[in-house]
Amino acid sequence: MSHFTTARPRPFLDPAYCKACLRCVEACAKHCITPGSTLNTITGVAPVELHLEHCTGCALCVQACPEPFGLRLDEGMSHLEGEFRLEDPTKLFGKKRVDVVDAPIEPDEQIPLPGCAPLVLKGAYASAIGAVLAGCRHVFGYPITPSTEGAELMAKLMPELGGTFVQAVSEVAAVNMMYGAGGAGVPAMTFTSSPGFSLMLEGISYMIGAEVPGVFVNFMRGGPGLGNIAPEQSDIKLACRGLGHGNTHALVLAPSTPQEMLDLTLAAFALSFRYRNPVIMLGDGFLGQMTGVVRLPPTLSRPGRPAWAVWGDRSHRHNLISSIHLAETDLEAHNEHLNRKYAAIAKRETRAELFRCDDAEVLVVACNTPARMAKGAVEVARARGLAAGLFRPITLWPFPIDALLPLLPRTRQIIVVEASPGQLEDELRLALSHADRVPPPITHVRRGGGVLPQQTEILAQIAATQEAFA
Amino acid sequence: MNSPVFYDHFERHAHGAGLKGHSTHYCPGCGHGIVHRDLADAIGELGLQDRTVLISPVGCAVFAHYYFDVGNSQAAHGRAPAVALGHKLANPDAIVISYQGDGDLASIGLAETISTAQLGLPITVIFINNAIYGMTGGQCAPTSLIGQKTTTSPAGRDRAMGSPLRVAELIAQLDGPIYVERVALFDPKQRVKARRAIQKALRLQAEGRGYAFIEVLAECPTHLKLTPELAEAWVRDQMVPVFPLGVKKDLTVEPWFHCGPPSYDVEKFLALVGAEPLEPDTEPPVPATSAIGDLSLKFAGAGGDGAQTAALLLTRAAIDAGFDATHIPSYGPESRGGTSYADVHIAAGEVLNPAAPEPDILVAFNAPSLAKFAPMVAPEGTILYDGGVITQLPALPAGCRVIAVPFTEIARGLGRPVAKNMVAIGALQGATGLLPPDRFTITLRHLLKDKPSLLPLNEAAFEAGRRAVCPPSVPT
Ligand code: SF4
Ligand code: SF4
Ligand code: SF4
Repeated sequence: MSHFTTARPRPFLDPAYCKACLRCVEACAKHCITPGSTLNTITGVAPVELHLEHCTGCALCVQACPEPFGLRLDEGMSHLEGEFRLEDPTKLFGKKRVDVVDAPIEPDEQIPLPGCAPLVLKGAYASAIGAVLAGCRHVFGYPITPSTEGAELMAKLMPELGGTFVQAVSEVAAVNMMYGAGGAGVPAMTFTSSPGFSLMLEGISYMIGAEVPGVFVNFMRGGPGLGNIAPEQSDIKLACRGLGHGNTHALVLAPSTPQEMLDLTLAAFALSFRYRNPVIMLGDGFLGQMTGVVRLPPTLSRPGRPAWAVWGDRSHRHNLISSIHLAETDLEAHNEHLNRKYAAIAKRETRAELFRCDDAEVLVVACNTPARMAKGAVEVARARGLAAGLFRPITLWPFPIDALLPLLPRTRQIIVVEASPGQLEDELRLALSHADRVPPPITHVRRGGGVLPQQTEILAQIAATQEAFA
Repeated sequence: MNSPVFYDHFERHAHGAGLKGHSTHYCPGCGHGIVHRDLADAIGELGLQDRTVLISPVGCAVFAHYYFDVGNSQAAHGRAPAVALGHKLANPDAIVISYQGDGDLASIGLAETISTAQLGLPITVIFINNAIYGMTGGQCAPTSLIGQKTTTSPAGRDRAMGSPLRVAELIAQLDGPIYVERVALFDPKQRVKARRAIQKALRLQAEGRGYAFIEVLAECPTHLKLTPELAEAWVRDQMVPVFPLGVKKDLTVEPWFHCGPPSYDVEKFLALVGAEPLEPDTEPPVPATSAIGDLSLKFAGAGGDGAQTAALLLTRAAIDAGFDATHIPSYGPESRGGTSYADVHIAAGEVLNPAAPEPDILVAFNAPSLAKFAPMVAPEGTILYDGGVITQLPALPAGCRVIAVPFTEIARGLGRPVAKNMVAIGALQGATGLLPPDRFTITLRHLLKDKPSLLPLNEAAFEAGRRAVCPPSVPT
C-alpha cells in the first residue's frame, strides 16, 4: 500500500468506456495494466484490468488512451488513501469548472447620418458603400472582371475602418472565409462574376445548410465557360435553382441602377441575418461599371452579435456551425426547417417594381439593365398610345408572383426581355405554374453574348403585338 | 489531465444515448482520440477554453464537435483553414484551431492549406497523417507510402501514383509559419513530445506570434488492418523513415498580430466615400431645362485621349445641375487594347436606357473612333471631332451636324496636350449649350478642390474649346 501515499493521482477506468485497444498496456513501464479476461456485457469487449500496486502515477497510460472517458486520472479520489471504487465519471468529477451561460443577442445599432449631397458612383462602388453602411467590415474575394472595382474599393476602405479585406487564393477559399466570418456572426461579403460564382457554389450550399449569413454580389458576364466579360444575365438559373447541392435557396436580388446597387446591398445584409441565410445580389456587367447618382440612406449600422454566433467567448461557447446531420430523420427535420424558412421568405420578402402596369395590355417583364431598356421602350410605346407596362421583379427568387397575378386579367401579352437564353422566362413560367395560372401568350426579346436587348427591338415587339391585337 | 474541455456528456453523439454519450465514434486504438486528449488538455491548461473555436474537417474527425466543449464549426472538405481564417479575422481574440486529416489537408484542401500557411496569421493547424483515407474506407492518401496497399492502390502505391507528400517540410519552407513540428504517438516518449508540441502551437497563437503547424503521425488500425499495437509499430518502422520526426521550423517572433476594432465613425465614413453633408435646408438642384428628354452621347478615342474623364465630368456636371445622368465605360481587354469609349445619358427625368448604341452626340478623338461610331449616330445628331487629328473623313450620315475642332492643337497651344479632353468638353458646350454655361466650371472647381493648381489650365482649355465653336461675340 506504500505507493498510495504519494499525492499523485492514479488512473481510473470505467470499464464501459474501454474499447480494449490495449494502447495503455504497452504504455505502462510498470506493467500495471493487463488485457482483460472478462467480456463487458454492455460493450461486448473485454476492458483492460488495472493492478496499481506498483503504479507511480506517471499518467503515461492515460496519455495513450484514445477515449476521453476511458483511462482518466483519479484526481477526486487521491485523499481516499487506497480506497478505490468504480463510479460513473460524470458523477465522480462533478460539474464543470466553467459553466456556460446563454448568449445574449446584442442588437444592431443604427447611427444617424447627416443629409448629404448626392454621390456620383459606379454601381460596384455603390454596392461596396452599401455593404459598409450595413456594417460589413469583412470582405473576401478573388479578382475577376467585371467585379474587381468592388474588391478594389474594399481593399482601400476596410483597413481604414478597422476591417479586413482578404484576396483569397481562389473563390473556393473566399466563400469559406465567409463561412468562417459569417459563422462568427459578423457581416461578410464578396464581389464576384459568373465563373467565380460557379466556384463558390459548394460553399454556398454549406452556408445554407449551416445557416450562415453572407452577401454575394455577382456581376454576371457572358458564358458558358470563359465566355466573355460583357454583360449577360445567364446566372439567373444558377442563383434561383442551383445554389450547390441539396435543398438550397437564397433570396436573389436584381438591382437595375447604381442607387439600387447601394440600397439592395444594404438590405441584403439585414435579410441575410434575419433569415440566417446567404443573399445573392445579381447584377449584370453593365451595372457594376455604370456610374450614376446615388443618395446615402439616413443611417449607418453597427452590427450587434447574434446569440447563435461561434464567436470565441464564454457566452457563445456552446454554439455549433455545422451542416452535417447523420441520422436520416435529423436531416429530414433540418430540411423541413429550411423549407419553412424558404416559405417565410417567399411570403414576406418578394419585391417588384410596377411601371405603368395599371391599364397595361402588354406586360414587359425584365430585370437588371435590360429593365431600363424595357422602361425606355414602354415610355415610347405609351407616347404612341400603346398600353404597355413594365413588370420588374426585384427578387428573382422568390419570384414576386403575388404582385403579378392581379395584372393578368387585363394582360393580353407578356414579353420577357432578357440578356440570357430564357432563364428569366423560366422563372416566370415556373412561378405561374406553381400559382396554377394559365398565362397569356408569352413572347420574348432575348440577346446574349454581351449584347443587351435594345429599346428599339423591345419597342418593335410591343408594336407588333399591338398590331396583332388590332 | 482529466480535461474539462471535453463535454460531460456527448449530447451530439447520437443524441447522447447510451454508451455513445461518453465514448467516441473513433475505432479502438485510433490516433485521433489521443490527439483529441492532448488538444483538450492543452486548451484547458492554457486557460483558453472560452476563447477557442475548433474547426472540424471532413474525414474521421468530422465529429470533433461531439467532444470539445468549445466554440465549434464544421467545414467543407479541405476548407477548414479558410474557415479558420474567417473566424480569426472576425474575432482576433479567438483561439482558432483547424483540425484536419491527410485527405482533407494534403489533397483536396492543398490550396487553402498552403495559402493560409503563407499568410501566417496566428492560427493553429493540427494535421493527422495516418497515410490513408479513413472515413471513405481506406483509399490511397497523398501521404500513403510507396508500396502501401489501399482500396485504390490494390497492388500497392507506385511512383506513377505519386510519392508520399511530406507536408511538414513543405509548410516549413514557407515564410508564413513560425513553428512546424512533426510528432508521433507510437510510444510514451513520442506522446509526451506530441503533447508539448500541441501546447506550444496553441501558446504561440494565444500570444499573437504566428501560425503553427503540427503534423501528427497517427494510427488508423482499421484500414491498416493491424492491431493498434502493430499499427504503432508500422508507424514507427514504415512511416517515420519517410516522414522524419522533429521540429522543422521554430522562429522567435515578437507578437505582431492585431486587427480592428471595426469603426462605425460617421465622420470617417463620410470622408472616405467623399460625401459632403448639406446645410440643413439645402434644396436639391432642379434641372434648368426639361428640354432634355433623354440625350445620349458617346465619347470615343484612344487610351490616352481622356474620353472617360470627359464623359465622367459631363455626367457629374449634369447631376450637379439636377439632371439624372449615367456613364458606362468600355471595359476589359478592349479598354487595354487602345480604343476607349464611354456612353453617357442625360435626362431631365430618369435615364432609362443607359447605353448609347445610336448616340445623339458623338465626340470622337481619333479617326478609327469616328469611322466606327459615326455611322451609328442618330438622325439629325451631332458629330464633334478633333479636326486637327482627323483629316480624312469617313462617309457621315446625312442630316448630321458635323463640327471639327482641333482639340489637340488647341491644348498644345496651352502647353498641355493632355488637356484636349477639356477642350472637347468646352467645344461640346459651345456647340450644344447642353448645360447652363457655368455648370462645368462649378463642377470642375469642386472636383479639383484638392488640386487647385490644375484648375486654371483646365478652365482655360474648356474656354478655348467653347470659343473655337462660338466666337466670343456670340453669347452661349
Ligand atoms: S500511471 Fe504510469 S505507472 Fe500507473 S498504471 Fe499508468 S502508466 Fe502505469
Ligand atoms: S487505452 Fe483506453 S480504451 Fe484502450 S485498452 Fe486502455 S483503457 Fe481501454
Ligand atoms: S477509420 Fe481509421 S482514422 Fe478513422 S476512426 Fe477508424 S481508425 Fe481512426
